[in-house]
Amino acid sequence: MQIITEQNLRNLIDLLVKEAKLVVGPKLSGSVVLYEPLTAGTELTLDALPRRSSKELFFPVCEDILSYKREGGAMKVTDVDRSKFPETVLFGAPPCDAGSPSILDAVMSWDYKDEFYLERRKKSTIVGIACTKGDDACFCRAVGLAPDTENGSDLFLTPLKDGSYACNAVTEKGQALVAAHKNLFAEGAGAEPVPFVDQAVQKLDLVKIKKWLEEHFEDPLWERIADICVGCGACAFICPACHCFDINDEGSTDDGVRRKHWDACGFAKFTNHASGHNPRDVQNKRYRNRIMHKFKYYDDKFGKTLCTGCGRCIRACPVGIDIAEILETINGKAE
Amino acid sequence: MCESKNIYLPNLATIETIVDETPDVRTLRLVFQDEAVRENFNFRAGQFAEYSSFGFGESTFCIASAPTRKGYIECCFRSVGRVTESLRRLEVGDTVGVRGPYGNSFPIEEFYGKSLVFIAGGIALPPLRTVIWNCLDLRDKFKDITIVYGARSEADLVYKHELKEWQERGDVRLVKCVDPGGAGPDFDGKVGFVPTVLEEAAPSAENTIALVCGPPIMIKFTLPVLERLGFSDDNIYTTLENRMKCGVGKCGRCNVGNVYVCKDGPVFTAREVKAMSQEF
Repeated sequence: MQIITEQNLRNLIDLLVKEAKLVVGPKLSGSVVLYEPLTAGTELTLDALPRRSSKELFFPVCEDILSYKREGGAMKVTDVDRSKFPETVLFGAPPCDAGSPSILDAVMSWDYKDEFYLERRKKSTIVGIACTKGDDACFCRAVGLAPDTENGSDLFLTPLKDGSYACNAVTEKGQALVAAHKNLFAEGAGAEPVPFVDQAVQKLDLVKIKKWLEEHFEDPLWERIADICVGCGACAFICPACHCFDINDEGSTDDGVRRKHWDACGFAKFTNHASGHNPRDVQNKRYRNRIMHKFKYYDDKFGKTLCTGCGRCIRACPVGIDIAEILETINGKAE
Repeated sequence: MCESKNIYLPNLATIETIVDETPDVRTLRLVFQDEAVRENFNFRAGQFAEYSSFGFGESTFCIASAPTRKGYIECCFRSVGRVTESLRRLEVGDTVGVRGPYGNSFPIEEFYGKSLVFIAGGIALPPLRTVIWNCLDLRDKFKDITIVYGARSEADLVYKHELKEWQERGDVRLVKCVDPGGAGPDFDGKVGFVPTVLEEAAPSAENTIALVCGPPIMIKFTLPVLERLGFSDDNIYTTLENRMKCGVGKCGRCNVGNVYVCKDGPVFTAREVKAMSQEF
């Protein structure tokens, strides 16, 4: 087994920063931990789940997709130079974050390819870490992941009781990262792993849940659970798997940029037609779409569940809507 | 510079002509600026595009001209939002962006040898007009062609000059109508709602395909009429016009249940529509 000490993990970050890679990891930013660029290994903070997911590393909250400028009489449109996207290493992502790109790859690469996402994805290495910091809102086990799921990570670290980490190079990218910095890793038996935190919600039968959803597009449940939803969109914005976006121009009619930015199906105007007709005209239809998209539609289309059980939407919801509780309810109703 | 393709990059097109169809509905005829694009841009009737007004953003409209008419495309829109209002401020010679064509299309070859009934309401004629001209340009391949088109008032009828042309052709039966209260003193069409007028016109369902496009309420009342006239759900086609942004199956906006209108549609049979989650 390969082992890396905590000090060497921080040294590895220092080295990667020196190699001019963009190194991103959980970092204390003011009073909250966020995924932010690290300038030194000492900044890595592994004692809390970052408030927002690491999704934005691949799919930024807002990004330019082209620029336009009127030159003389003619409009000129210029592509974004995606070859300039930096080589990136993401450190310290627990399975609920490290697992999100492998879910989003499906929608971003089917048929038309979103090369903004795919280029960032190609240039990134994910150093995941087994999660020993779970809280009451965590439900990764319910949706088929676990605190030690390696799938999604290129290199996977397991925290050991002596403060070091057991390393498993899951992919070629992970093997390359280890091979390039061999002297920081040592062979050894390793200490005992740090135990995982118990989760309130146990594994749910997602096939059964999907079947119930299929048969209950109309159900009193939707009105009951979405009755208190205020449509703030917080759940979508902190979600590692939500991928809805909008496209808008910023600038004048002669000079500006076109940008892609996150949107949320919970917003009242998300599906509003120009005519005023709105297919999802009330909040419970919008909330139903959120659940259906995650646990039925995405699976229909891509064979994956659009949720990693990170629990962020539960922590962030201003009115206390608990998606894990909703899934448990459906799991209980389903035959 | 990277070599990967940016799917959000539009082609540039120049506004060649502007036609005001009604006080707030306008047709733009667009010619691609790049010669290669101009020559190679192919589409099928029923497909849509993302049209951009620089500084404001993109709007989704069908390609309203027929694929049989080369060298240009047309879009037709009502000015109701930020982007459409900005498109309306553009003049002949100005530049717009066009991404597309996207989505599926009407299987016109499958309609060869059959009669066609087009049924449209209000500003929903453009998505069928592309098919109408496509079929009229290949007139020999079809039997009877009937067009039932209605709007709230005479002023709201779009493509007035073409309605006249269709009316005067001997090989098309045009039934135009306006809602009660919408007719002027000289109106030469019928007064009544589209479903009622369709039932009176009673086109035969035998070896016939019906193509319907209109506001949700019109569709709702037209489908039972078609059923009474003997049309099966497989012989009724419609095109859905959901709000879209990307047009290419990414942005998560246009779905009706697990159906992505931008990728699986926008053209569907009545059977497909009835099988969808009823959320449109």
